[in-house]
Amino acid sequence: MSDTAALERGYRRILAWYPRSFRAENEDEVLAVLLATAAEGQTRVSPAEAWDLLRGATRMRLWPVAPRPRSVRAAVRLMLAGAVAELAGLITVLVTSGAVRAAVAARDPAAMHALMVHQVSAMVGCPIAIGLWVWLASANGKGKDWARMLSGACFGVCTLTVLGLLAQHAATHAPADVIAAAVVWAIGLASVVLIFTPAAGRYYRPELARG
Amino acid sequence: MQEATFLILTALADGTQHGYGIITEVAQISSDRVKLRAGTLYTALDRLRAEGLVAVDGEEVVEGRLRRYYRLTPEGTKVLADEAARLHENATAALTRLRPGLAGGLA
Repeated sequence: MSDTAALERGYRRILAWYPRSFRAENEDEVLAVLLATAAEGQTRVSPAEAWDLLRGATRMRLWPVAPRPRSVRAAVRLMLAGAVAELAGLITVLVTSGAVRAAVAARDPAAMHALMVHQVSAMVGCPIAIGLWVWLASANGKGKDWARMLSGACFGVCTLTVLGLLAQHAATHAPADVIAAAVVWAIGLASVVLIFTPAAGRYYRPELARG
Repeated sequence: MQEATFLILTALADGTQHGYGIITEVAQISSDRVKLRAGTLYTALDRLRAEGLVAVDGEEVVEGRLRRYYRLTPEGTKVLADEAARLHENATAALTRLRPGLAGGLA
Protein backbone atom coordinates (compact mmCIF):
# COMPACT_ATOMS: atom_id res chain seq x y z
CA MET A 1 0.00 0.00 0.00
CA SER A 2 2.85 2.37 0.83
CA ASP A 3 4.32 1.65 -2.61
CA THR A 4 1.11 2.75 -4.26
CA ALA A 5 1.02 5.85 -2.08
CA ALA A 6 4.57 6.80 -3.11
CA LEU A 7 3.76 6.22 -6.77
CA GLU A 8 0.58 8.26 -6.43
CA ARG A 9 2.53 11.15 -4.89
CA GLY A 10 4.98 10.99 -7.78
CA TYR A 11 2.20 11.14 -10.34
CA ARG A 12 0.51 14.02 -8.51
CA ARG A 13 3.76 16.00 -8.48
CA ILE A 14 3.87 15.82 -12.28
CA LEU A 15 0.13 16.39 -12.70
CA ALA A 16 0.65 19.66 -10.79
CA TRP A 17 2.14 21.01 -14.05
CA TYR A 18 -1.25 20.79 -15.76
CA PRO A 19 -3.55 23.83 -15.89
CA ARG A 20 -5.64 24.27 -12.75
CA SER A 21 -8.97 23.94 -14.58
CA PHE A 22 -7.89 20.64 -16.13
CA ARG A 23 -6.67 19.30 -12.80
CA ALA A 24 -9.82 20.28 -10.96
CA GLU A 25 -11.86 18.21 -13.35
CA ASN A 26 -9.55 15.39 -14.42
CA GLU A 27 -6.71 14.82 -11.95
CA ASP A 28 -8.36 11.97 -10.03
CA GLU A 29 -9.43 10.29 -13.23
CA VAL A 30 -5.98 10.56 -14.87
CA LEU A 31 -4.40 9.30 -11.66
CA ALA A 32 -6.68 6.25 -11.66
CA VAL A 33 -5.63 5.45 -15.24
CA LEU A 34 -1.94 5.99 -14.41
CA LEU A 35 -2.20 3.61 -11.45
CA ALA A 36 -4.11 1.09 -13.54
CA THR A 37 -1.44 1.12 -16.26
CA ALA A 38 1.52 1.10 -13.84
CA ALA A 39 3.66 -2.03 -13.81
CA GLU A 40 3.26 -4.54 -10.99
CA GLY A 41 5.29 -3.36 -7.99
CA GLN A 42 6.18 -0.02 -9.61
CA THR A 43 7.07 2.57 -6.97
CA ARG A 44 8.38 5.46 -9.05
CA VAL A 45 7.22 7.37 -12.10
CA SER A 46 9.10 6.05 -15.13
CA PRO A 47 10.94 8.53 -17.37
CA ALA A 48 8.65 7.63 -20.29
CA GLU A 49 5.55 8.37 -18.18
CA ALA A 50 7.03 11.62 -16.90
CA TRP A 51 7.92 12.70 -20.44
CA ASP A 52 4.42 11.87 -21.71
CA LEU A 53 2.71 13.75 -18.88
CA LEU A 54 4.96 16.80 -19.12
CA ARG A 55 4.46 16.92 -22.87
CA GLY A 56 0.68 16.94 -22.35
CA ALA A 57 0.96 19.66 -19.70
CA THR A 58 3.15 21.80 -21.98
CA ARG A 59 0.73 21.40 -24.86
CA MET A 60 -2.25 22.43 -22.73
CA ARG A 61 -0.43 25.44 -21.34
CA LEU A 62 0.92 26.62 -24.69
CA TRP A 63 -2.45 26.25 -26.43
CA PRO A 64 -4.85 26.88 -23.56
CA VAL A 65 -7.77 27.98 -25.70
CA ALA A 66 -9.91 25.14 -26.91
CA PRO A 67 -9.38 24.57 -30.63
CA ARG A 68 -12.24 25.87 -32.74
CA PRO A 69 -14.80 23.41 -34.02
CA ARG A 70 -15.10 23.18 -37.80
CA SER A 71 -18.28 25.22 -37.99
CA VAL A 72 -16.63 28.13 -36.16
CA ARG A 73 -13.51 27.89 -38.33
CA ALA A 74 -15.73 28.01 -41.41
CA ALA A 75 -17.72 30.94 -40.00
CA VAL A 76 -14.51 32.89 -39.32
CA ARG A 77 -13.33 32.29 -42.88
CA LEU A 78 -16.75 33.38 -44.21
CA MET A 79 -16.65 36.57 -42.15
CA LEU A 80 -13.24 37.40 -43.57
CA ALA A 81 -14.70 36.68 -47.02
CA GLY A 82 -17.46 39.16 -46.12
CA ALA A 83 -14.78 41.77 -45.40
CA VAL A 84 -13.14 41.01 -48.77
CA ALA A 85 -16.52 41.33 -50.53
CA GLU A 86 -17.09 44.74 -48.89
CA LEU A 87 -13.57 45.78 -49.89
CA ALA A 88 -14.24 44.73 -53.49
CA GLY A 89 -17.44 46.80 -53.41
CA LEU A 90 -15.58 49.81 -52.02
CA ILE A 91 -12.85 49.55 -54.66
CA THR A 92 -15.48 49.26 -57.40
CA VAL A 93 -17.27 52.38 -56.16
CA LEU A 94 -13.99 54.33 -55.87
CA VAL A 95 -12.65 53.28 -59.27
CA THR A 96 -15.92 53.87 -61.14
CA SER A 97 -17.21 56.91 -59.24
CA GLY A 98 -15.99 59.46 -61.81
CA ALA A 99 -17.25 57.56 -64.85
CA VAL A 100 -20.63 56.79 -63.21
CA ARG A 101 -21.06 60.44 -62.20
CA ALA A 102 -20.29 61.61 -65.73
CA ALA A 103 -22.73 59.09 -67.21
CA VAL A 104 -25.51 60.06 -64.79
CA ALA A 105 -24.87 63.78 -65.34
CA ALA A 106 -25.20 63.27 -69.09
CA ARG A 107 -28.35 61.12 -69.04
CA ASP A 108 -30.30 61.93 -65.90
CA PRO A 109 -29.04 65.03 -64.03
CA ALA A 110 -31.99 64.74 -61.61
CA ALA A 111 -30.50 61.51 -60.21
CA MET A 112 -27.19 63.21 -59.35
CA HIS A 113 -28.13 63.87 -55.74
CA ALA A 114 -29.22 60.27 -55.09
CA LEU A 115 -26.02 59.05 -56.75
CA MET A 116 -23.83 61.27 -54.58
CA VAL A 117 -25.59 60.03 -51.45
CA HIS A 118 -25.10 56.44 -52.61
CA GLN A 119 -21.39 56.92 -53.37
CA VAL A 120 -20.59 58.80 -50.17
CA SER A 121 -22.49 56.29 -48.03
CA ALA A 122 -20.54 53.46 -49.71
CA MET A 123 -17.23 55.24 -49.07
CA VAL A 124 -18.10 55.77 -45.41
CA GLY A 125 -20.09 52.59 -44.82
CA CYS A 126 -17.80 50.05 -46.47
CA PRO A 127 -14.73 50.71 -44.28
CA ILE A 128 -16.96 50.49 -41.20
CA ALA A 129 -18.46 47.24 -42.47
CA ILE A 130 -14.99 45.84 -43.23
CA GLY A 131 -13.84 46.70 -39.72
CA LEU A 132 -16.94 45.09 -38.26
CA TRP A 133 -16.50 41.86 -40.25
CA VAL A 134 -12.83 41.53 -39.25
CA TRP A 135 -13.52 42.38 -35.62
CA LEU A 136 -16.40 39.89 -35.38
CA ALA A 137 -14.35 37.21 -37.19
CA SER A 138 -11.56 37.62 -34.65
CA ALA A 139 -13.86 37.67 -31.60
CA ASN A 140 -15.91 34.71 -32.83
CA GLY A 141 -12.68 32.81 -33.48
CA LYS A 142 -11.78 33.34 -29.83
CA GLY A 143 -15.14 31.95 -28.76
CA LYS A 144 -16.58 35.16 -27.32
CA ASP A 145 -20.27 34.56 -26.75
CA TRP A 146 -21.06 38.29 -27.04
CA ALA A 147 -19.51 38.30 -30.52
CA ARG A 148 -21.89 35.53 -31.52
CA MET A 149 -24.88 37.52 -30.29
CA LEU A 150 -23.58 40.71 -31.92
CA SER A 151 -23.06 38.85 -35.21
CA GLY A 152 -26.66 37.68 -35.09
CA ALA A 153 -27.84 41.23 -34.37
CA CYS A 154 -25.71 42.69 -37.19
CA PHE A 155 -27.12 40.12 -39.57
CA GLY A 156 -30.64 41.11 -38.51
CA VAL A 157 -29.89 44.78 -39.14
CA CYS A 158 -28.26 43.90 -42.48
CA THR A 159 -31.37 41.90 -43.51
CA LEU A 160 -33.72 44.76 -42.62
CA THR A 161 -31.51 47.29 -44.44
CA VAL A 162 -31.36 45.19 -47.60
CA LEU A 163 -35.13 44.60 -47.55
CA GLY A 164 -35.76 48.29 -46.89
CA LEU A 165 -33.50 49.39 -49.74
CA LEU A 166 -35.03 46.90 -52.14
CA ALA A 167 -38.56 48.01 -51.25
CA GLN A 168 -37.70 51.71 -51.40
CA HIS A 169 -35.79 52.14 -54.61
CA ALA A 170 -36.14 48.82 -56.31
CA ALA A 171 -36.19 50.58 -59.67
CA THR A 172 -33.01 52.60 -59.21
CA HIS A 173 -30.65 49.80 -58.17
CA ALA A 174 -28.31 48.41 -60.79
CA PRO A 175 -28.30 44.60 -61.01
CA ALA A 176 -24.66 44.59 -59.90
CA ASP A 177 -25.60 46.46 -56.71
CA VAL A 178 -28.33 43.95 -55.92
CA ILE A 179 -26.06 40.99 -56.60
CA ALA A 180 -23.29 42.46 -54.41
CA ALA A 181 -25.76 43.06 -51.56
CA ALA A 182 -27.16 39.54 -51.98
CA VAL A 183 -23.66 38.01 -51.84
CA VAL A 184 -22.79 39.90 -48.64
CA TRP A 185 -26.16 38.98 -47.14
CA ALA A 186 -25.71 35.28 -48.04
CA ILE A 187 -22.23 35.28 -46.44
CA GLY A 188 -23.79 36.80 -43.32
CA LEU A 189 -26.55 34.20 -43.27
CA ALA A 190 -24.14 31.28 -43.68
CA SER A 191 -21.77 32.51 -40.96
CA VAL A 192 -24.60 33.15 -38.51
CA VAL A 193 -26.03 29.66 -39.13
CA LEU A 194 -22.57 28.15 -38.53
CA ILE A 195 -21.94 29.92 -35.22
CA PHE A 196 -25.31 28.81 -33.88
CA THR A 197 -24.81 25.07 -34.53
CA PRO A 198 -24.73 22.82 -31.43
CA ALA A 199 -21.00 22.08 -31.85
CA ALA A 200 -20.27 25.81 -32.03
CA GLY A 201 -22.45 26.34 -28.95
CA ARG A 202 -20.20 24.02 -26.94
CA TYR A 203 -17.20 26.09 -28.05
CA TYR A 204 -18.77 29.40 -27.04
CA ARG A 205 -20.14 28.01 -23.80
CA PRO A 206 -17.82 25.18 -22.70
CA GLU A 207 -19.44 25.06 -19.26
CA LEU A 208 -22.52 23.57 -20.92
CA ALA A 209 -20.48 20.96 -22.79
CA ARG A 210 -18.62 19.83 -19.69
CA GLY A 211 -21.54 19.82 -17.33
CA MET B 1 -5.71 13.71 -38.00
CA GLN B 2 -3.01 12.16 -35.82
CA GLU B 3 -2.96 8.41 -35.50
CA ALA B 4 -3.59 8.52 -31.73
CA THR B 5 -6.67 10.69 -32.28
CA PHE B 6 -7.95 8.39 -35.01
CA LEU B 7 -7.49 5.33 -32.78
CA ILE B 8 -9.18 6.99 -29.79
CA LEU B 9 -12.22 7.83 -31.92
CA THR B 10 -12.17 4.30 -33.33
CA ALA B 11 -12.09 2.85 -29.80
CA LEU B 12 -15.29 4.78 -29.04
CA ALA B 13 -16.98 3.94 -32.36
CA ASP B 14 -18.95 0.94 -31.07
CA GLY B 15 -19.84 2.19 -27.59
CA THR B 16 -18.80 4.11 -24.51
CA GLN B 17 -15.43 3.50 -22.86
CA HIS B 18 -13.63 4.81 -19.81
CA GLY B 19 -10.04 6.08 -19.99
CA TYR B 20 -8.36 2.76 -19.21
CA GLY B 21 -10.79 1.02 -21.56
CA ILE B 22 -9.74 3.32 -24.41
CA ILE B 23 -6.06 2.48 -23.79
CA THR B 24 -6.71 -1.28 -23.95
CA GLU B 25 -9.01 -0.91 -26.98
CA VAL B 26 -6.41 1.14 -28.86
CA ALA B 27 -3.75 -1.48 -28.09
CA GLN B 28 -6.07 -4.17 -29.42
CA ILE B 29 -7.12 -2.26 -32.54
CA SER B 30 -3.50 -1.52 -33.44
CA SER B 31 -2.31 -5.06 -32.59
CA ASP B 32 -0.27 -3.68 -29.67
CA ARG B 33 1.62 -1.31 -31.97
CA VAL B 34 0.21 1.84 -30.30
CA LYS B 35 0.40 1.96 -26.52
CA LEU B 36 -1.35 5.14 -25.45
CA ARG B 37 -0.10 6.76 -22.30
CA ALA B 38 -2.34 8.68 -19.93
CA GLY B 39 -0.84 12.08 -20.79
CA THR B 40 -1.38 11.59 -24.52
CA LEU B 41 -4.87 10.18 -23.98
CA TYR B 42 -6.15 12.99 -21.77
CA THR B 43 -4.56 15.77 -23.81
CA ALA B 44 -6.35 14.33 -26.85
CA LEU B 45 -9.64 13.80 -24.97
CA ASP B 46 -9.54 17.37 -23.66
CA ARG B 47 -9.22 18.66 -27.23
CA LEU B 48 -11.79 16.24 -28.68
CA ARG B 49 -14.32 17.29 -26.04
CA ALA B 50 -13.67 20.96 -26.75
CA GLU B 51 -14.21 20.28 -30.46
CA GLY B 52 -17.47 18.48 -29.70
CA LEU B 53 -16.33 15.17 -31.20
CA VAL B 54 -16.38 13.29 -27.89
CA ALA B 55 -18.67 13.78 -24.90
CA VAL B 56 -18.73 12.51 -21.33
CA ASP B 57 -21.30 9.78 -20.86
CA GLY B 58 -21.52 9.40 -17.10
CA GLU B 59 -19.07 8.55 -14.36
CA GLU B 60 -18.76 6.23 -11.41
CA VAL B 61 -16.43 5.53 -8.54
CA VAL B 62 -14.76 2.12 -8.65
CA GLU B 63 -12.60 1.06 -5.70
CA GLY B 64 -12.41 4.66 -4.55
CA ARG B 65 -11.19 5.88 -7.98
CA LEU B 66 -13.10 8.13 -10.35
CA ARG B 67 -13.99 6.52 -13.66
CA ARG B 68 -15.50 8.64 -16.41
CA TYR B 69 -17.10 7.26 -19.55
CA TYR B 70 -16.76 8.78 -22.99
CA ARG B 71 -18.78 8.43 -26.19
CA LEU B 72 -18.61 9.75 -29.74
CA THR B 73 -20.96 12.62 -30.56
CA PRO B 74 -22.81 12.56 -33.92
CA GLU B 75 -20.22 15.03 -35.22
CA GLY B 76 -17.40 12.79 -33.93
CA THR B 77 -18.97 9.83 -35.73
CA LYS B 78 -19.06 11.82 -38.96
CA VAL B 79 -15.47 13.05 -38.63
CA LEU B 80 -14.24 9.50 -37.95
CA ALA B 81 -16.24 8.10 -40.89
CA ASP B 82 -14.83 10.77 -43.24
CA GLU B 83 -11.27 10.18 -42.04
CA ALA B 84 -11.65 6.38 -42.32
CA ALA B 85 -12.99 6.75 -45.88
CA ARG B 86 -10.08 9.03 -46.77
CA LEU B 87 -7.48 6.63 -45.34
CA HIS B 88 -9.20 3.71 -47.06
CA GLU B 89 -9.05 5.49 -50.42
CA ASN B 90 -5.37 6.30 -49.95
CA ALA B 91 -4.54 2.77 -48.88
CA THR B 92 -6.45 1.31 -51.82
CA ALA B 93 -4.62 3.62 -54.22
CA ALA B 94 -1.27 2.62 -52.73
CA LEU B 95 -2.02 -1.10 -52.94
CA THR B 96 -3.36 -0.74 -56.46
CA ARG B 97 -0.13 0.89 -57.59
CA LEU B 98 2.09 -1.51 -55.71
CA ARG B 99 0.44 -4.67 -56.96
CA PRO B 100 -1.67 -3.99 -60.01
CA GLY B 101 -2.46 -7.68 -60.41
CA LEU B 102 -4.04 -7.93 -56.97
CA ALA B 103 -5.92 -4.66 -56.99
CA GLY B 104 -9.32 -6.27 -57.55
CA GLY B 105 -8.93 -8.64 -54.65
CA LEU B 106 -7.75 -5.98 -52.23
CA ALA B 107 -10.12 -3.14 -53.02
